[in-house]
Order: sequence, then C-alpha cells, then structure tokens
Amino acid sequence: MHAPTRLLASQFGSPHGVTAQDSYVRLLWHLAFYFALPLGLIVLGGIAWCLVRYRAKPGSERRASQFQYHIPIEAAYTIIPLIIVAVIFGFMFNAENHVDRVSRAPAVKITVEGFQWGWRFVYPNGHQEIGTVANALNINSMKNLPVLYMPAGETVQFTLKSDDVVHTFYVRDWLWQRDLIPGVHNVADIDVKNPGIYDGQCNNICGQYHAYMRFLVDVMPVKQYKAWYAHQAANSITTAGVTVSS
Amino acid sequence: MKVEWRTVLGASVFLGATALLYWALVYAHGHPTEAAGITALVFSFAAYFMLFGYLVLQYIKRRRIPRPEDRFDATQADGAGEVGWFPAASIWPAGMGLGMVIGAVGAVWGVWYLIVGGIIFVGAVIGFVAEVEAEPE
Amino acid sequence: MTVIQEPPGREYRPAEPQLFEIVPGPRPHGLVKYLTSTDHKQIGINYMVTAFIGFLFAGLLAEGIRTQLIVPNNNFVTENVFNQLFTMHGTIMLFVFLGPFGFAGLGNYFVPLMIGAPDMAFPRFNALSYWIYLGGFILMSAGFLTNNGAANFGWFGYAPLTSAIHSPGPGADLWIVGIALTGFSGIFTAVNIISTIFTLRAPGMVMFRMPIFVWNQMVTMFLILLAFPVLTAAMALLWIDRHLNGRFYDQTHGGQPILWQNLFWFFGHPEVYILALPYFGVVTEVLATNSKKPVFGYKGMIGATLSIGALSMGVWAHHMYTTGAVLLPFFAALSLLIAVPTGIKFFNWIGTMWRGTITLNTAMLYSIGFLTMFLFGGITGVMLAQPVLDFQLHNTYFVVGHFHYVMFGGSTFAGFAAIYHWFPKITGRKLHEGWGKLSFAIMYIGFNLTFFPMHPLGLRGMPRRIETYNAHMGWNFLNLLSSVGAYVLAMGVLITVWNIFRSYRKGEIAGDNPWDGQTLEWACSSPPPDHNFESLPPIRSERPVWDANHPDQLTEVGHR
Repeated sequence: MHAPTRLLASQFGSPHGVTAQDSYVRLLWHLAFYFALPLGLIVLGGIAWCLVRYRAKPGSERRASQFQYHIPIEAAYTIIPLIIVAVIFGFMFNAENHVDRVSRAPAVKITVEGFQWGWRFVYPNGHQEIGTVANALNINSMKNLPVLYMPAGETVQFTLKSDDVVHTFYVRDWLWQRDLIPGVHNVADIDVKNPGIYDGQCNNICGQYHAYMRFLVDVMPVKQYKAWYAHQAANSITTAGVTVSS
Repeated sequence: MKVEWRTVLGASVFLGATALLYWALVYAHGHPTEAAGITALVFSFAAYFMLFGYLVLQYIKRRRIPRPEDRFDATQADGAGEVGWFPAASIWPAGMGLGMVIGAVGAVWGVWYLIVGGIIFVGAVIGFVAEVEAEPE
Repeated sequence: MTVIQEPPGREYRPAEPQLFEIVPGPRPHGLVKYLTSTDHKQIGINYMVTAFIGFLFAGLLAEGIRTQLIVPNNNFVTENVFNQLFTMHGTIMLFVFLGPFGFAGLGNYFVPLMIGAPDMAFPRFNALSYWIYLGGFILMSAGFLTNNGAANFGWFGYAPLTSAIHSPGPGADLWIVGIALTGFSGIFTAVNIISTIFTLRAPGMVMFRMPIFVWNQMVTMFLILLAFPVLTAAMALLWIDRHLNGRFYDQTHGGQPILWQNLFWFFGHPEVYILALPYFGVVTEVLATNSKKPVFGYKGMIGATLSIGALSMGVWAHHMYTTGAVLLPFFAALSLLIAVPTGIKFFNWIGTMWRGTITLNTAMLYSIGFLTMFLFGGITGVMLAQPVLDFQLHNTYFVVGHFHYVMFGGSTFAGFAAIYHWFPKITGRKLHEGWGKLSFAIMYIGFNLTFFPMHPLGLRGMPRRIETYNAHMGWNFLNLLSSVGAYVLAMGVLITVWNIFRSYRKGEIAGDNPWDGQTLEWACSSPPPDHNFESLPPIRSERPVWDANHPDQLTEVGHR
C-alpha cells in the first residue's frame, strides 16, 4: 500500500467497530485527524521555529522587533478555523442523525436494566437474563457474567432503564454507549454486523462494585438467535452463575 | 466607564440571545428536562443586565465625564487626592470566617454547631462594625 | 479605539503624597500577621500556599489511584477507599488547588499590582473569603477522618448516587458543605476583583491598557459570578434531599436526577474556563516578558478571551451527550466554536515570540510545556465535542487523558511558570534556575508518561473510575506505564517544592525587575511595600515599565 491509502486505512489507534453505525464514527475520527495533524504540526513548528531562530544569543546585538498587530494574518487565523469548524459540524450533524436514528419497526426489542450491581435483559416474551456481581465478584473470571443474547445484522432496539442510580450501557467494540438514568426514557437502536462475543461494562460510577458491573454480549446469526429465543419460555428467568431448579 | 458597561452589556445580550435560541430549539425538538438550562441562562442574562444597569447609571450620574483611569492621557497628578481608606490589619474577618465554618458544620452534625458558629459570627460582626465606626471618615 | 502613543517620560514621576492613607502603628508579624492581614499580597500568598498544599495532598491521592491500578486485580486499597481517592483527588484539585491558586492567589496578588492599585476594593471582605475557603478545604478533607470515609461518588456526584440511601454518612455532607464554602469564597473574590478592576485603576490605565492577565482574570470573575451560585444552589438542593426529605433529585417521588446533571454542568463547564483563563493570562505575560515584545494581537487576544468566556456559558451539556436527554446539535456547535478563539490565542502566542529575543528561563520552559500540552488537550477536546465520537469515548480513560492534558499539562504547568516568574516579586529572591529546569524536564517526561497512555487505554475501552480490571482486556502494559509515569511526575513536583524551600532562604537576590518585565508589578520593590507603589511610571501603553526602561523600543504603530 502506498502512503495515502495507508493513511486512509489507518484507524489512528481506534479499534474497528462492529456495528452498522461504525462508518460514521470512523469518518468523524478520520476527519478530526486530517485537520488536527497539519494544524498541530503548524503550531508546534511555529513554536519550535521561534525557540530556535529567535533565541537570545549571548553577545548578539539583535533586538526584538516591537510589532503588535498584523490584521490580515489575524483575520486569516480567525476565518480559516471557523470554516474548519463548520465543515466538521456539517459531517457531525449528518453522522449524528444516522447514529441516533430510532426505527419504528425494529426486528428485536430488548429492555436493558442496570441496578446496583448487575444487569437485567428483558425480552419481548418476558424472558429475563440476569446477572449480579454477587455471583461474579472475581475480576479475572469471565464466568457467571450476565449475557445479552441478540441477533446479528438486524436492528435491535434497546430501552434503557435504571431504578436506582445512573449506570451506562457500554460495549467497547460497538464504539457506543448510552446512559441509564432514573426518570429518563432512553431508546436506542444498534445493528451489529459481526457475530461474536463482546465485553460490556457499566461506564458511570455507580457505587462500590462499579468495576465489577460487567456483562457479555453474545451476538448470534439470526437463525441461531431465533432458535435460542424459541427455546426461552415466556417470563422465565435465567440467572448467570446460579442454577435455578423449577 | 464606557468599556466596562459595554462589556457587561455584551455579555448580557449574548446570554439573552443564547437563552432565546436554545429555548426555540428545545421547543422545536428538545427534551422537557432542558428547562433547567433555559432558566439558568435567563437568570444569567438578568444578573448581567442588572449589573449593566448599575454601571450605566453610575456613568450617567457622572455626566459621562471620564475618570482619570478612563483617559488615555491622564497623568498621576490627575489621580491626586485620596483614593480610599484601606484598613490596617483586622482580626474580625478571621472571626467571621470561623463562625461561618463552624456554622456550616451544623449542616453535617446538627444544630448545636450552627448556634455556636452563629454566636461567633455575630460577635465578630459586632467587633467588625465597632472597628469600622472607630475609623476616620 | 485609538491608542495615543506619546513618548513616555524617562523617569518615574513621583506620585502625589496623599494617594492613600497609611494607618500608623506597628506592623504585625508571624502568626498574627497571617491571621489578621487585610493586605491583598498577604492574602494572595495565603491562598497560593494553601492551594499548593491542596495540590500536594490531592497529588498524593492520585498516587494512591495509580498504585491501585498498576497491575490488574490489585488489592492496594479496597473499592470504597479507591472511590474516595478519586473523588477527593478531583474535588480538591479543582475546588482547592487549580481554581483558587489562579483566580484567588495570583489574582489577589497581581491584579492590584498590575493596574496600579494600592489594595483590593474590599480588603476585609477579601480576608473573609480566604478564611471560608480554608474552612471549606479542611471540612471536605475531614471526611477521611469519619467512620464511613470521605465522599465516594466522583467529583461530579451524580444524583441519585449522592442520596442519603446510596451514600449515607457525614463524608458526603462534608463534601457538600466544603464545596459550598469554597464556592462562596469564589463569589466573594469575584466581586472583589471586579470592583477593583472597575474602580481602582491608576490614572491612564484605561481598560485597553490592562495586561492580558488582568483581562483574563476579569472574564474569569464574570464566569464565577454566573457559575458558582448555580453550584451552591444545586448543593443546597442536594442537602435538602439528604436531610429534610426533599425530592428534587428523587425520581420515585417526581424529582429528576438529571436536574442535578444540568445544574452541575451549568457550573461545571464555565468552571473549566475558570481553571484555564487565569493561566492563559500567566502564559501570555511570561511569553511577552521573555520575548521582550508586546503581546501580539493584543485586542484580538481580549476578544478571544471574551468570546471563550461567553461561549463557555452555553456548552454545559456536552458533558451529557450520552444521557440522551439533551439537544445534541446546539451544544456540539457551541463546543466546536470555542476551538476558534482558543486557536486565535495559540497563533497570538506564536506571534508574540516571533522575531523576539527569547530567553529560555524556567518560567519560559513551563510556558512552552503549557503550549505543547494544551495544544494536544485542545485537539482531543475537539474530538470529544462531537456527540458521535463522544458516544465512543465518553467516561473512558480517553476523557481522563484529555482533561489532564488541559488541566495539568495546561493550567498546572502554567501555574508552575507563574511560580518561577513571580517568586522573585513575592519574596525578593529568585528560584534556583538549575533545579527549576531539572524539575521541568522530569515533570514533562513524567506527565506524558502518565497521561499519554490514557488515550489508547480509553480507545481500548477502559472506563474511568474502575477500581480494578481484568488482566485479559489489553490494558495491563499501558496502566503500568501510566503508574510509573505518575511516580516520575511526583519526583518532578517535589524538586520544585525543595527549590521553593531552598530559595526562600538562600536564593539569589532578585532586585525589583529581574526579568526586564513590562507590566506595573515590576515598578515596585520586591517584595512590594504596604499599599504597593511609591511612584508610578506614566501609563501610555499596556506595558508602562518597559516604556520607561526602553524608551527607544516602543511598540511599533502601524500594521493595525
């Protein structure tokens, strides 16, 4: 790959997202770097140039120039950043409209509920997946975590709820998060393209066991998800790490 | 005074305009809880408008005659005369502070601290007023 | 606005004898002086010393945080203690150190000196504001001595985690009361400094001849007047919720937890600029002095400060993008716009150095450190201002890295520049340059080692405020780097502490104007006498001392 292509393909340190919204996030991320790199280099270069070129040398008779204003230059570095900001805002506005769009007919609706300290995922037929830190108070173990099962390639609509304190539903590979705030009705759509198991975690300080408030997302191909869902009895409860006998 | 009141007026106008724009946008497609921010912005606008009003009244009262510190060509002689009274060392601010802090502890551990703090505060204020009274005009 | 450029007199003209009344009698010393002084300089020193103690204390808490996170699954402190550490680290750094050091410490000491005033407008009021600030500091730290420990819900204490049910105990109450007291202190200081600037300037010191530092202080004070009352109100509502069964933030009885977020950030974002603007002023003065040049684009600089101040009032909800309950485009647009005046400042700083004769003393090095680090923090700030990117990065270590680049690499480095620049004025002795440069070098390396790894950590999804982490998340090495960096950084800071102790007794005698300064504080002796000035040079531009000392190098007229 030659250099420009490589630059375009670079993620500038950010992981690849796995959702349909990823292209918008990536576009903004790239845009920020395309503006920031040259601007940052100009500023750093200017500082370095001043320090090297205009440093007072012992014995030199050179005097500092006493100019104070230069209207054309000042106007230029006011107007050019304004244009850059306007461009960034335009792209951002467009991206935001796509990322935040809420579908009227999502394929699956799941209610995500956070509590101190654990997660409850409620499916349309009343089936619940629950996990609490009481069953997973070992940071090095990935067992006994609550699991959110969902299909890949379909729009999944989350209703985000909390009844105690503020939590945040955050999955790092989705490059996305949303708060669960008591008293705020939050709905968001996510379309995960790649099946797989993803790490999730509460991302807002919610008390003592905040760090342990983790979960897993099991994104399955649609057929597999439908089979799993058909297998879940209405209003049944699966608690991670605890075997419930009926 | 001109620069002063114009700066404050500018801030006030900006805050008012921001409040209006924000209110209009929230009204169009916002969230009900954003009323908090609109209220805060309106009060900020009002606070600065009040300050602007005070400054502009002072300005008119002085018949718009610039003070020495408003004149580009003023010399030290223009500022001659007494600038003001600057007090010597005083223990009373520390006393008032102590009273306020002990009183504030009352918000944590009960009303007794508030009473003790209040007594210290009032005592310090009395001392403070007596000190001010003793000063020359 | 026309600036009259007449040639200044070659000598300082003696001031009129009755400029102010000096109270006769013996001057107090020692503890009595500390307790009773109403002199703005003494109060400024009190503020700076107290704030610096707060800085060291909160820094110690930060070392605790980094020690806990140095390896995964660590057990250096318990979850509860860890939560107290980061809460009080944030609270003390913001409410005790960074703000008061800049706007109250440096503001008290140098605003009257720079505008040629004998003291602050309300000297006793000024003393009172210091005492309640000190009380606030003591009360909020006293939480550590109570049974349940200090506050443990993060420095922005989101409701309803702060409620009496979720956070019982006096620690949270002490936090509320402490912040409210420092808030009142800030309001008092703001009233005082605005009055001083508006009414006590020396003749000829028109508004458009005030140093940029004073302008920045003034805008800071205007922001305080708007922001702190809202904070105090929010704290009062919280206290009522906790003690009198209020329902303001209680969703189960019709309250709104998100009201807290709106109120808190309505204070919280201006607060960021309250913490930054005084330090922008410091850097401007240090760069101009050590380049032997006037501030480039003086009026543009003032305009930029005013627009930053104004815009900062309308961006609070960019801390709330992920709540799903704010109007995203409005706040994104205003947040992005702030980048423009900040950019103007950067180019003006470069313009100030351009074709100067630059002396690289320690203060200048710290200012260069400020420029480079704040640039980085500003760029990541533009990324975070965009809601879509914020959905990824919000509350991760990327944000932690971002605001430490702004608050530490930016403001605190500028605070150190201020210490090195003005220590001679305050004590009459210079700080040791060699120790200073060593301290800067170690701090610069340690700082980047601590906070740069936080950006990739955030991109890899490490949430802030977690007490421990799984070893298989890919966070281990970066956390180790960051913790090692924190120890290096602490060493750098301690070298400056040692330098201050050493130079206070044995430092080189500075003289009145050691750096060939430009603004009025260099016209009085070091340390300045009571009521500051025996005589004032004529004020014919924004750098009267320079004009008096270098009548052949006046600011060029033209290019305007």
